Amino acid sequence: MGASRGPRLSGLQKQVLSLYRGFLRAARCKSAADRRQIESIVSAEFRRNSNQVDRKNFLYIEYLLRRGKKQLEQLQSPNTESLSQTKQS
Amino acid sequence: MLRSSFLRRGYNKVAGIFGRAEAKKQDFPVLEGHPAAQESAEVALESRVTVQDNVKKVMKEFRIYRWNPDRPDSKPFLQSYHVDLSECGPMVLDALQKIKAENDSSLSYRRSCREGICGSCAMNIGGTNTVACLKPIDGDTSKPTIIIPLPHMFVIKDLVVDLTNFYQQYKSIEPWLKTNMVPKDGREYRQSPADRKKLDGLYECILCACCTTSCPSYWWNPEEYLGPAALLHAYRWICDSRDELTEERLQALTEDERKLYRCRAIKNCTATCPKGLDPADAIHKMKTKHMLSQPMEMVEIM
Repeated sequence: MGASRGPRLSGLQKQVLSLYRGFLRAARCKSAADRRQIESIVSAEFRRNSNQVDRKNFLYIEYLLRRGKKQLEQLQSPNTESLSQTKQS
Repeated sequence: MLRSSFLRRGYNKVAGIFGRAEAKKQDFPVLEGHPAAQESAEVALESRVTVQDNVKKVMKEFRIYRWNPDRPDSKPFLQSYHVDLSECGPMVLDALQKIKAENDSSLSYRRSCREGICGSCAMNIGGTNTVACLKPIDGDTSKPTIIIPLPHMFVIKDLVVDLTNFYQQYKSIEPWLKTNMVPKDGREYRQSPADRKKLDGLYECILCACCTTSCPSYWWNPEEYLGPAALLHAYRWICDSRDELTEERLQALTEDERKLYRCRAIKNCTATCPKGLDPADAIHKMKTKHMLSQPMEMVEIM
């Protein structure tokens, strides 16, 4: 999906990109160390999904978008400091 | 199971030859010295064994909607489960619990009170939206019962749907008492019994979302139209005698034509409400109130 960044982006691609931008903007409001942490997690997740998820799988992409929007709302609240990740063994 | 009862009967018969009292004490050592209790315990044991032998299995098929977000390439499908109704509680929620406990623990659904007051287990059972804890299982074993999540809602997993839009619409009608005056003795806002009776049939709403997700008007415009549940609650605050900002509430609802007037009196909401409430009636009353509060010339044109 990253390779298709040509002149025309589909509506779904635009939504994904705007969600990514939203995360980066939210990260700017946190402290420097937290900002790096958030940016690394978010960019890794988006990159992983862009490689693994089939671009025609609208059901799953829309599910990820909805989940991402909720997580973004949580992150934007001033009470949240940072993101962290645990690995599933 | 049959063998143990056979052995027990054989043992009892043999023990009976050597004296009934010893046989009883063998069974229930904790009841020694209480012959009446021993006798009744013996009878209870016998009857349980008899019932277990006589009860037959009644197998019912359930076809339940499954979708797992952790398997992104899978499409949603209906999975079949067979449940023995003779060992299961009467309601659909009991069947779901049994399936999750014994068959497939990955089945996901919301549930809480199991008595129809929390509204968590709302789902579409056999074509109708109800709460699973109040819907008895249809005893007809020749047809499967189909259980799917609430229609036209985004699915998070299996039968769990995303209700955040629904809750935000409820929040947007400001469901709290709004007054300007302080009560006379400074303690409570009083209300006559007649005024309290007006709230019957409105306050019992459990916010299960069954009515809202059964409304075709809500299916086509979920962001704009508030839906029967939110409107029922809006009417509950409008007709509360203690609430003083009735005009403002009505005005907030009717300033654009999409929040209230998208209702087309389809009445699916009243038909499907698991608590037997009447949202269509409340919406109609609100429309009437709004029409009558407008100047007469405008009403005549309409």
